[in-house]
Amino acid sequence: MGTLAGQAAFYYLAAASIASAALAVTRSNPIHSMLWVLALFLHVAGIFVLVGAQFLAAVQVIVYAGAILVFYLFFVMLLDLPSETAARRFGAHWPLAAAAGAVFAFLLMRWYQPGLATPTPAATVDAAPMPHVAAVGMLLFTEFALPFEVVSLVLLVAILGAVVVARRKTAS
Amino acid sequence: MVTTGALLGLSAILFGIGLVGFLSRRNIILMLVSLEIMLNAVNVNFAAFGHHLLEERGQILALFVIAVAAAEAAIGLGLVIALARNRPDVRIEHLTELKW
Repeated sequence: MGTLAGQAAFYYLAAASIASAALAVTRSNPIHSMLWVLALFLHVAGIFVLVGAQFLAAVQVIVYAGAILVFYLFFVMLLDLPSETAARRFGAHWPLAAAAGAVFAFLLMRWYQPGLATPTPAATVDAAPMPHVAAVGMLLFTEFALPFEVVSLVLLVAILGAVVVARRKTAS
Repeated sequence: MVTTGALLGLSAILFGIGLVGFLSRRNIILMLVSLEIMLNAVNVNFAAFGHHLLEERGQILALFVIAVAAAEAAIGLGLVIALARNRPDVRIEHLTELKW
């Protein structure tokens, strides 16, 4: 991909991500919010492709957009939607939230480093270059094998926790 | 190609939008969704630094973040179901029983 095309793709993806995130947190209809979040996730997957994280992009589309977001949509449709649409969308504490956002933006501009510009070229490439996803898998099953197993435990606890929390209390 | 500074700026802006959404929405489900936006911003940050350092470990950390996000969605929505069973809706200011 040419440099110019890559830049253009990045700026499109960045602008679309920011716009869909902003729309997602301001729409009053929860379903519309969810659909804007779906657009955000797909554009972020495009950014992952652009920075060479293809496996992460695939996981983003399959797990985030495919599983987690459908889960959220399912819950929104399970609960009472019309009263949500009619109600005020922001709480009375929204000036506090806006102030927190303003402080965050100030800190961002204060410590933003545009000097962090050029990716450093690979200085020490001694081994034969591996295909990208293969390199990720190799790291995941060697160096990160223990965290990988711990994540399976985290997911197991989440499954059990969700069942325990959401279970209807039986009269026993 | 894409500069790391631009990627970090994008990540920070997305995180800020998620932060404002989390603090200002009244619907608990949309607060959780704002949390997902923030986690996505963190993933962009990890991928940006992985790209910058020519390193795959950033992607692996982002994978773990996605797994934790899935766990958080399951637990959080379980809590929402447990709340919605006793209340007409899932608004945050109706959860006042721990206040006095």
